[in-house]
Amino acid sequence: MSGRQDTPFRVEAGVSRARGDRIARFAGGAALALVVTFMLLPPLLIAVLSFSGDPYLSFPPESWGLRQYETLFSTSQWTDAIETSFRVAVPVALLSVAIAVPAIFAAHRSRLKGRHGILVAGIAGLIVPISAYAIALYGVLSQYGLLGTYEGLVLAHTVLAVPLVLVIGEAAMTRIPIELELAAMTAGAHRIRAWLGITLRVLSPAVLAGGLLAFITSFDEAALINFISGSGQTTLPKAILESARLGIDPVITAIATLLMLATSVLVAGVILLRRTAP
Amino acid sequence: MTTDAGLHIDNVSKHYGQTIALDRAQLGVREGELVTLLGPSGSGKTTLLRIIAGFETPTAGEVKLRGREISRLSPAERGVGMVFQQYALFPHMTAAENVAYGLKVRRWPAAKREKRVAELLELVGLAERANHRPKELSGGQQQRVALARAIAYEPEVLLMDEPLGALDRTLRLEMEEEIRRIHRNQGTTIVYVTHDKQEALALSDRIAIMNNARLVAYGHPEELYYRPSSAFVAKFFAGANTLPVSSFSLNGSGRATVSLCGERCEVPIADNVDGAASLVVRPRSFSLEPGGARITGRVRESLLFGEEREIHLEVDGLGKVNALLDARRSQGVEVGSELSLYFNADESLLVPA
Repeated sequence: MSGRQDTPFRVEAGVSRARGDRIARFAGGAALALVVTFMLLPPLLIAVLSFSGDPYLSFPPESWGLRQYETLFSTSQWTDAIETSFRVAVPVALLSVAIAVPAIFAAHRSRLKGRHGILVAGIAGLIVPISAYAIALYGVLSQYGLLGTYEGLVLAHTVLAVPLVLVIGEAAMTRIPIELELAAMTAGAHRIRAWLGITLRVLSPAVLAGGLLAFITSFDEAALINFISGSGQTTLPKAILESARLGIDPVITAIATLLMLATSVLVAGVILLRRTAP
Repeated sequence: MTTDAGLHIDNVSKHYGQTIALDRAQLGVREGELVTLLGPSGSGKTTLLRIIAGFETPTAGEVKLRGREISRLSPAERGVGMVFQQYALFPHMTAAENVAYGLKVRRWPAAKREKRVAELLELVGLAERANHRPKELSGGQQQRVALARAIAYEPEVLLMDEPLGALDRTLRLEMEEEIRRIHRNQGTTIVYVTHDKQEALALSDRIAIMNNARLVAYGHPEELYYRPSSAFVAKFFAGANTLPVSSFSLNGSGRATVSLCGERCEVPIADNVDGAASLVVRPRSFSLEPGGARITGRVRESLLFGEEREIHLEVDGLGKVNALLDARRSQGVEVGSELSLYFNADESLLVPA
């Protein structure tokens, strides 16, 4: 009896599941097409164009060669910009880690009142729109005479980068059992030694991943820089914008290709590091 | 207790605001003894262990280890070893490096350290796994490394917090054996926390039973099992029935008369009874053959455990009574029927309720 009642119901469920599958497959295909068209194709095009031997931008290129890369590395406008970007992004990465790591420890391993507020405050920066932040920062930096200075730029980028290190580091920290420290301490280690030698050591892949992300954030930052940097702080993104104002320089394709390559390597590094993190 | 040897917990309390986690605990552990803190969760056993380890500071009282007051010292200064339920091995170190950690912190010379590490890995049967990381070891192997790490520097007392709680049953029995062997060979003083009474029975020289933040009984397993000091101990530790007794009269020489299901019977009485009392009857004391004291009730449940059958009997005025009967002889017992069970009154004991 019950078997005969079950059968039509099961068939119906099967039909509707097949329809659901078709819809899902179509949606998946559409999403894939959009990603390929708008995200993968343009960079690929840029990469192809970077090997053009023409002194102007045209597609398809009339000749091939390393001309764009030669121009890039022999023009001081570009090499200076690359150097400036490094001089900003490296301290930003170090400073972000130096701020975020103690904050994570304070939030997770101290008995401070309001310790949970630390992370909220640190991550809150993520919800401020960058243009609004830029305008506010303009006022603050000019108040302290930091507008257009190297220090001001490093500070501004650090504020953007700290939340990233916090989020990645904090996720790893919640998975480090406090018993590791307690075990080290009963074995005779002082609290500081247990923190540095055990907890921070176990946390370090995540911290490194956060630092790399901070570096990329600063290196790639193209919005804030227009509001607050002076003539001495022409980073690579700013140099590209300035050059684009005068017309499209085909060197940009070489810069973009190198940037994409470097970012891919760093992001792969971040992913690998996070995998080894707890 | 004027002796300086061993571990002495003297009137130790721990309060968190209004909550009392541990109430005036008093406990002496002799040198080389394995003492188990046994109790349901929230009974204060872990709090007491954490106070001994130095992870918590007592609100009142003293902890003395070999005559030294240690309750205000940092964990590093106490000379204790600790094994955690979740192993807590350092994930970035090999088994050998984990075991060597305490020795390194104590600045043992390299040669001596290596010798000791090899010796310990040998002791726990993991010599071939010396260079493996915790990730590459099974749960049982990890706990062995943790044990070796905790006893490497010869701590004055080894603390174990439900160390077998994360292991499956077969492995648990194997590890019990291992702990017994190491305890016997090394003569380490051990304080062991568990909520599993089988584990406590298998391992302990003495057992401290805890309930509601208090230490309610302390003694040898046999004594606690057959001469429980309270209804809680009898029920929790021996799994015995504790039948409420409304009144009793003393007969002298450790015996009293109680009324049970309308019949009077004479039973042994513990010397600490003062006021309300319960009669302790172990499930195996019951029999279907007439003789001795009798209770009558309705069968609510009948479960076959191979050689034995567990019967749940609902008795007017006494509540639920568990009995373990010979399975073959109790084949006729039916759920819902009326049943009389008999027990030898001399095997029961009247204790404080």
